[in-house]
Amino acid sequence: MSAAFDDSSDEQQLYAADPEWADVVPLQQYEGVDPIAPIFYSEEYKDATDYFRGIVKTGEMSPKVLKLTEHIIRMNPAHYSAWQYRYKTLIALNSPLKAELELMDNFAIQFLKTYQVWHHRRLLLGALRSVDVAVRELAFVTRTLRTDTKNYHTWSYRQWILAHFNDEARLWPGELPWVEELLEEDVRNNSAWHHRFFVVWQSGVRRDEVDREEVLRRELAFTKEKISLAPNNQSAWNYLRGVLDHTHTPYASLTSFVQPYTVGAPSDPEDSIVDLENPRPSAGAELPSLPALEFLADIYEAEGGDGISKAVRIWKSLADEHDTIRKKYWEYRIKDALHGAQ
Amino acid sequence: MSSFPRLARTGHTSHCKICLSGLPFSQVEVDASRIAVIFYCLGAMDLLGTLSAKTSETDRQKWRDWFWEQQTSGKYGTGFKPSTYMTPQGGNDEYSDYDIPHLVMTYTALLSLAILRDDFSKLDRPGILRFMRACQREDGSFSALPDGGEADLRSVYCAFALSNMLDDWSGVDVDRAVSYIQRCSSYEGGYGQTPYHEALGGTTYCAVAALYLAPSTAHSSPETRMTPAERARTIRWLTQNQTSSGGFRGRTGKLADACYCFWCGATLTILGVGNLVDSTALAMFMAQCQYKFGGIAKAPSERPDPYHTYLSLASLALHPSREGDSSWDLSPLNVFWNITEETARWIKDHIPGYKA
Repeated sequence: MSAAFDDSSDEQQLYAADPEWADVVPLQQYEGVDPIAPIFYSEEYKDATDYFRGIVKTGEMSPKVLKLTEHIIRMNPAHYSAWQYRYKTLIALNSPLKAELELMDNFAIQFLKTYQVWHHRRLLLGALRSVDVAVRELAFVTRTLRTDTKNYHTWSYRQWILAHFNDEARLWPGELPWVEELLEEDVRNNSAWHHRFFVVWQSGVRRDEVDREEVLRRELAFTKEKISLAPNNQSAWNYLRGVLDHTHTPYASLTSFVQPYTVGAPSDPEDSIVDLENPRPSAGAELPSLPALEFLADIYEAEGGDGISKAVRIWKSLADEHDTIRKKYWEYRIKDALHGAQ
Repeated sequence: MSSFPRLARTGHTSHCKICLSGLPFSQVEVDASRIAVIFYCLGAMDLLGTLSAKTSETDRQKWRDWFWEQQTSGKYGTGFKPSTYMTPQGGNDEYSDYDIPHLVMTYTALLSLAILRDDFSKLDRPGILRFMRACQREDGSFSALPDGGEADLRSVYCAFALSNMLDDWSGVDVDRAVSYIQRCSSYEGGYGQTPYHEALGGTTYCAVAALYLAPSTAHSSPETRMTPAERARTIRWLTQNQTSSGGFRGRTGKLADACYCFWCGATLTILGVGNLVDSTALAMFMAQCQYKFGGIAKAPSERPDPYHTYLSLASLALHPSREGDSSWDLSPLNVFWNITEETARWIKDHIPGYKA
């Protein structure tokens, strides 16, 4: 992506013609042997990087170096040497790092998918050592994720902030309500489900969450509710499995919840007593749910004995009818279970 | 069967050849990772078996020379830099802090030199081992650069693959690295890029390949580094990622992308169950990702690039469909190093000190 320096980029004069840079000796890029896959640089990029190599040679760290590195980064945000040199210059000059962070807000949105943009922010936060700043950053990440709800770097950055500052009073409390908002908007957002797992199960116990039995009940209720809205949503089922595995809870404890999702059509609501603990598939849901069938087969397999043949029947239906792209996987499960049962 | 599409071998070869002759300024972001792009081009031609016919020995000699110019030594040891993008005219005797070798580039450089059938007489073996040691961090991970930069499973994999190629593990603290990899395991069954992050196809390959590459230590062996339950969970997640399009996605709920056909499928192969991939559906997906003027894109109707072209071909080499005609024939792939078996053999025969 060739990004313009700024709105006046057309008039951007070369460093070679700029009196402010007259004291720097530009150094051209070395190309001894015939290069392979050379990049056809623009005049502007070549000029800027010539001066950057010159700067690195003398070790100059001055305000004009900040301008130069910003210029290079805007043309090539993956230029990690420019980032490294910029960071060292900021520290050497004792520059206001909060101002740098504000500049980075604009970078991050423009170059969302570039690792260096996020790495630089981590360095800044590490140097600033301020929970106030961390709070500001969480708000920034929240805004950024609105444009790209699944950006891997952005999510990693948020998880890093939470773990790095680990502030019980000011950073953690907002996470769960926020994740719930995101899942409200898009129940299939796997990054949000993953974040929920990180917040609830991996980052240590929250002050108001010492009763783990209660947390488990809450998480199961939450997940079942979300599954009832979209019974084929793999993200919710994976979360459910993750919670059960993590807490060593047998899958069989969810048999009565899962069963209504494994049949061809929703049973007549008149017939069934409303069971708040086991919400039924929402009206119009696509049934049977494949993840529910898989889950029920896992319950049967764990049962052993007659359970194995019930599991095999489900796997056969997945292989031949419901999930044919994974035919070989379901056949492998059958073989594995029958072999294990012997 | 007659309607089964063909693999556009000539088009893919010419896509790679064009990239090797030069890249437009719109690709400037690869300035700091150029060796990797070159590796994808050479690797694709190696898989297609077109390298010796479509390039000249003069070119290949020039390219070998260029690669050796990227091998550079200094206070952190020896490795390869991505290109001369930070090297000033006249060169450096020792690298500066801003022109240092890069772990991932060092891995791709060795693979590229092997594809070009270099004799490796210029390889600074002790220097590379020293460089790896400088890249390993307290938590067991490796950073791509010795004084910082990204530290994640990708660099861990590259350090493990390099140690395996050099047949020398003295540059790596295996136990610490293994425990780092295990911390990256996610509840879904895949591995995140760093601990506690979302399961992702590419880093799951890096994790599993590394767990199987490392030799046994007093504390772990390839067989014990994943429990049977973890292995089953990983296999489940990986197969789940093949979508109805035939292609694989890298994360739950996302769309298929050609590169994840390699990352997920190759991991299944390492786990001994590569046959679980629906290879015909996979080939149909790849056929749609082929760009009309050559090269393979991440998804249908996107633009191709060397990265997706190479990984797509690598995936097709691992999971050939019975339906395809001879246009789909590719050289067998060494799944641990991500290179053709023939080139892997070259490495074993020519890297000095390889004992196996």
